[in-house]
Amino acid sequence: MKIDSIGLKNFKAFKDTKMLDIPHFCVLVGANGSGKSTLFQVFAFLKEALASNVRTALIKLGGSMGFREVRSRNSKGNIEIEVKFRERSNAPLVTYFLSIGEKNGDPFVEREILKYRRGSSGQPWHFLNFSNGKGTAVTNELDEVTDVNELKREEQKLKAKDILAVKGLAQFERFPAVMALGNLIENWHVSDFHINRARPEQEAGYAEHLSREGENLSLVTEFLYNRHRDIFNTILLKLSERVPGIANVKAKTTEEGRVLLRFKDGAFEDPFLARYVSDGTIKMFAYLLLLYDPNPHPLLCVEEPENQLYPKLLWELAEEFRAYATRGGQVFVSTHSPDFLNAVELDEVFWLVKEDGYTKIKRARDDGQLKAFMGAGDKMGYLWKQGFFEGVDPL
Amino acid sequence: MKSLVFFLEEPSAKAMLNGLLPRLHPMGWQFRYVVFEGKQDLEKQLPLKLRIWRLPGCKFVVLRDKDSGDCVTIRKGLVEKCSKAGKPDALVRIAIHELESWYLGDLAAVEAGLGMSNLARKQGSRKFREPDALSNPA
Repeated sequence: MKIDSIGLKNFKAFKDTKMLDIPHFCVLVGANGSGKSTLFQVFAFLKEALASNVRTALIKLGGSMGFREVRSRNSKGNIEIEVKFRERSNAPLVTYFLSIGEKNGDPFVEREILKYRRGSSGQPWHFLNFSNGKGTAVTNELDEVTDVNELKREEQKLKAKDILAVKGLAQFERFPAVMALGNLIENWHVSDFHINRARPEQEAGYAEHLSREGENLSLVTEFLYNRHRDIFNTILLKLSERVPGIANVKAKTTEEGRVLLRFKDGAFEDPFLARYVSDGTIKMFAYLLLLYDPNPHPLLCVEEPENQLYPKLLWELAEEFRAYATRGGQVFVSTHSPDFLNAVELDEVFWLVKEDGYTKIKRARDDGQLKAFMGAGDKMGYLWKQGFFEGVDPL
Repeated sequence: MKSLVFFLEEPSAKAMLNGLLPRLHPMGWQFRYVVFEGKQDLEKQLPLKLRIWRLPGCKFVVLRDKDSGDCVTIRKGLVEKCSKAGKPDALVRIAIHELESWYLGDLAAVEAGLGMSNLARKQGSRKFREPDALSNPA
């Protein structure tokens, strides 16, 4: 899947913002508090709204004030989110639109639309069209319809106005378009890896995917070791290539069935256990687990991957992220690191600035000066550090 | 708007200029700073930055510390780089021995700024009468 554009209105610092023609590998820079994390919160919000409801998602995001805290300051209108994406590069462009209002302290979904555009012209077809808990959904398989008159619509009523129609209908196979969207949102992943959370070996358990903060690292390691040994070996090979000095990594199963990682440093005869390995090595290992997941996330958002990593590794990490994006996923990374940025191309960089209290998203390639420097062989990280990103004091 | 663009070898130079320049009340001038990572970085990257510069209405100032080098040679080298990059009118200035020397010329101001005492008195001593002679003012 690839998100093509995002439009936000009244979503926290994003009063009225658009991000267009988003690349597979998308890097966001900006000062602290400029809104980089808020952009990731949009994805988390949709995921939560799908898992529970809009009210709960608002409270998770804005605390007990919910809607009023999430809506941009001094704004009156609804919170609006519009995401355009393609499931595959040759699939039609899909628009998902959500408008959330509030009445007497209760948030409700005022409008929810899922529409597809066939070809470059003509009216888009509404596969889902709901307002205030009522609406219609199309029951055709996506690929089958060639004419708008063939669309079969079914009236539906949701049991509450703060539930997404996508949630209500995604469980029914007779709404395939809605189901596809539901699956996508459900599998979006935000990674905010914390080394201190990931270090302890977890008690016995089961996990297939690395969690947001990485505390299930040892369980995912165990899963890959037992169930996907080839992928596991690829990761170990990559790790020994990426981390200088690590000659070999081997996994060993204990009597209780836990997996211990043993890192062999070229300089020493005996390997040492993961718990004695440097933070940077663990972190690189965790990112490799995330990036070589046998069931990759369609969308991966990574917060500031640079912490604890040796600057030279950031270049390699950026390449791993890009490789993941090339394999079909999409990666959003927020960063402050010039070393990471140096590995990133002009087309991949967006920067966020606060103007009059609200976030604006700018794009490196739209800035003539940055484009000219990059064309002459400069690097994004240098330009960032030298202060060429208008409106941001770097670092 | 007209811009005065400073190419600097370190963030401390920007901090100084940022504090100083607005007080000179230059009407209609905007200040921009391009801060490099040390003087080698400045020497290396300056030509490209000048050559590819696009914003119209800019005047350029290059500021570098002398440190242990020879002032005339350093200045000549930089002037040449500016000319080759198509900006022969760029102003090149060398701080002797380094930027910090400039602060030592006005110890009363340093005293007031840092909230120290007994500093201004030293201005009369031989060492501080001629800050340029100090090879390590920092």
